[in-house]
Amino acid sequence: MIGSKLKVVLAMVVVLMSGLAVTGCKNGSKPDNLQRQALEKHENKRYNLRGQVVAKDVTANEITVQHDEIPGFMAAMTMPYKVKDPATIQEVEPGDKIAAVVVVVNDGSDYWLEDVRITEKSVRKSASGAPSVHRLNVGEHVPDLPLVNQDGRTIHLDDFKGKAVLVTFIYTRCPLPNFCPRLSSQFAKIHDDLAKTPDDYRKTHLLTITFDPKYDTAPVLRKYGMAYLDDDPAGFGYWDFAFTTPVDLRKLADAFGLMYFEQDNQISHTMNIVLIAPDGAVAKYWSQEWTTSELEDALRRQAGTAAAAVPARASRGRTL
Amino acid sequence: MTRLLRIACLALWLAGLAMPMACSHQGRAYLSEDEMQGRALFEDHCAPCHQDAHPELRKQPPKLERLFQPKSLPSGAPATDAQVRKTIIEGRGTMPAFDQRLSEEEVNDLVKYLHTLK
Repeated sequence: MIGSKLKVVLAMVVVLMSGLAVTGCKNGSKPDNLQRQALEKHENKRYNLRGQVVAKDVTANEITVQHDEIPGFMAAMTMPYKVKDPATIQEVEPGDKIAAVVVVVNDGSDYWLEDVRITEKSVRKSASGAPSVHRLNVGEHVPDLPLVNQDGRTIHLDDFKGKAVLVTFIYTRCPLPNFCPRLSSQFAKIHDDLAKTPDDYRKTHLLTITFDPKYDTAPVLRKYGMAYLDDDPAGFGYWDFAFTTPVDLRKLADAFGLMYFEQDNQISHTMNIVLIAPDGAVAKYWSQEWTTSELEDALRRQAGTAAAAVPARASRGRTL
Repeated sequence: MTRLLRIACLALWLAGLAMPMACSHQGRAYLSEDEMQGRALFEDHCAPCHQDAHPELRKQPPKLERLFQPKSLPSGAPATDAQVRKTIIEGRGTMPAFDQRLSEEEVNDLVKYLHTLK
C-alpha cells in the first residue's frame, strides 16, 4: 500500500518537474522567472529600473539604457527599451540618469518602460539648463575645420564646396545595431544608388566623422569604410571617413547640435545627419526621423542646385 | 505518510535546483561558471546583432549556433578559438571591434559559451 502511494507521489513529482521545466524553458534567452511569475498572476509585472540613457531612437520610440540589475527580471546590462509615453523620448537625452518602471506583459512576450523620471540631467544640459551652444541655422555656413580621412590625408569641409554633402557622425566600435551600424548602412545604400547615376555621383559627397578620434585612426576608418564599400576603395573618392582633434570635434558637434560623451569605453551620442548645400551652408538637419530614400532624395535635389560638377578633390589634400 | 511527504518535498526541492540549470540556454543543459559569465556577455554584446533580424543593416550578422561545427567557414573548416577571439577583439567586416571593451578573461568566457551553442 505504502509502496503504491510512494509511486503515485513520485509520479506526481516527475510530472510537476517536467511541467516546470517546459514552462521555464519556453522563453529561451529571456529570464525564467519573468514568464512563470507573469503567467501565474495573469497580469503585467512591474520592475523598477535605474540607469543611464546611452542613446535614443525617436523613430522606433526607443531608448537604450545602461541599467543596474533589475532583481527578478534581468542582470545589469545595456539594452534598448520601448517607451510608453512618446513625450518621454523628446525629453530624455543621452547621458541622463533615469528611474523608470519596466512593464512586462503577462505572457512575457513584450515589455516597455513607463513612468520615466530623469534623476540627473547630463552634464552638458544641466550647467545652464539648456544647450550652451548655438547650432547653425539652415543657411549658415559650416566652419572650415580640418579633418583627416581614411588615407591619412587632411581634408577641409570647404574642399567639398560645389557639391552637396551629407554628413553624419559614428564611431566604429559602436555595438548597437540601430545606431552607428544603421547609419553607415544607410549611407552605403545611398552611395550605391548614387554610383548608378554618374552626374549626381560627381555632384555629391558623403562624409562620416567619428566621435572616437583616439581609437578611430586612419587605418581603422579605412578598414571600416571598406566593409561598407564592399572592399572597393574607389568609393572613398565619394565617401570620406574622417577624424579630427577632440577640440575640433567638439566645435563641429556644437555647430551641428550634436551631443556626445564617453563612458566605460562606450560613446553615447545623438544621431544626427546634416545636409550641406554646394555653397557650404547648412541645408537641412535630421535628428529624429528619416528614411534612407528621404536622405537620398534631399541630397540629389541639393546636387541639382550645383552650378557644375567640381573636379575630383584628390589634388587638394595634404598627406600627413 | 509523513515520510512520503518528506520524500516528495525533497524531490520538489531537487527539481527546483535542477530547473535553472536545465533551462538556462538553448545549447548544453549544464553551464560552468565561466560559461555562465560568457552567456551574460553574449546576451549583452552579441545577441543584439546576432539573434535579432536587422533588415536595414548592410550585412546580416550570422547566427552563431554552429560556429565551431564543420563548414562554419567558407573553407569548410570549423572556426578555431584563435579565429573567434581575433574576430571579437578586432572586428570583422561590418562587425565592430570589442577591443578595450572586453577583458581577456571575458573574451575567454565568451568563447567558452559559444562552444556550448549547438
